[in-house]
Amino acid sequence: MQRFPCPFCGLRDETEFHYGGEAGNDRPEPAAEVSDQGWAEYLHIETNPKGRSREIWVHMTCGEFFLLERDTVTHEVFASESLRRAAP
Amino acid sequence: MRDFAQKWTAFPEWSEAELLRDGWRARVVPGLSQTLVSGALDKAWAQLGPEGAEVGLWQIASPETPYRVRIARDRALLVSPEAMAFDPGWHADGWAATVADNSYAVLELEGSETRNVVSEATTADLDAGSPSAATLFAGLQSVLLYRTAEARVRLHVESGYLPYLWRWLETRPE
Ligand SMILES: [Zn+2]
Repeated sequence: MQRFPCPFCGLRDETEFHYGGEAGNDRPEPAAEVSDQGWAEYLHIETNPKGRSREIWVHMTCGEFFLLERDTVTHEVFASESLRRAAP
Repeated sequence: MRDFAQKWTAFPEWSEAELLRDGWRARVVPGLSQTLVSGALDKAWAQLGPEGAEVGLWQIASPETPYRVRIARDRALLVSPEAMAFDPGWHADGWAATVADNSYAVLELEGSETRNVVSEATTADLDAGSPSAATLFAGLQSVLLYRTAEARVRLHVESGYLPYLWRWLETRPE
């Protein structure tokens, strides 16, 4: 069992979280001008680093999206940071 | 013709339903006023009235008066034993209030064994607590879990899942 820190709720079991993808893999825009190759890279090609990684996760019970920095080998968690923007 | 009514979990008359077990019992709490508040919570509380403490996971609320169950950074459930007067819908200063009286069913578990029952249903660290009362409970994604006394627990579960959660409690091996 592994526990992740939700930036709002604190430490919770991994079963309460859902993986959202690698951080920085931004959706290409504008969509009409993106090549097949560009879509394929966005959708299917993962960096999948061994070791330190930056990932997007969501805490399912509270709905918070956040950036998680962790080590994919040791499972050590370095940081978790909310991706929410302050209200204007 | 197949009787599709048979495939749904049978459930008791909720107003009379009770589970009596060694060291704990369960019942449904009827008639609570529940209001889902979303958005700028500080602005919402200024409008809805300052009364009522906020509870997170496993924290203890005073059930005789209104209280707020925190769900997320921008969401809470305002619970009251009496009907509450408020303007439902969107408010221009950034928050919304939604009538949720029937959205959540409320279960109360009580007795010295309550904590053991709860510990089987959730992986959350009850002693560590959490600002949010929402947790994965008996496989249900977002159940609100807090207490109203040292050994008395309240669970708010989406109404449609109440028969499942009741059966989970009913068939739990002693
Ligand atoms: Zn959370």
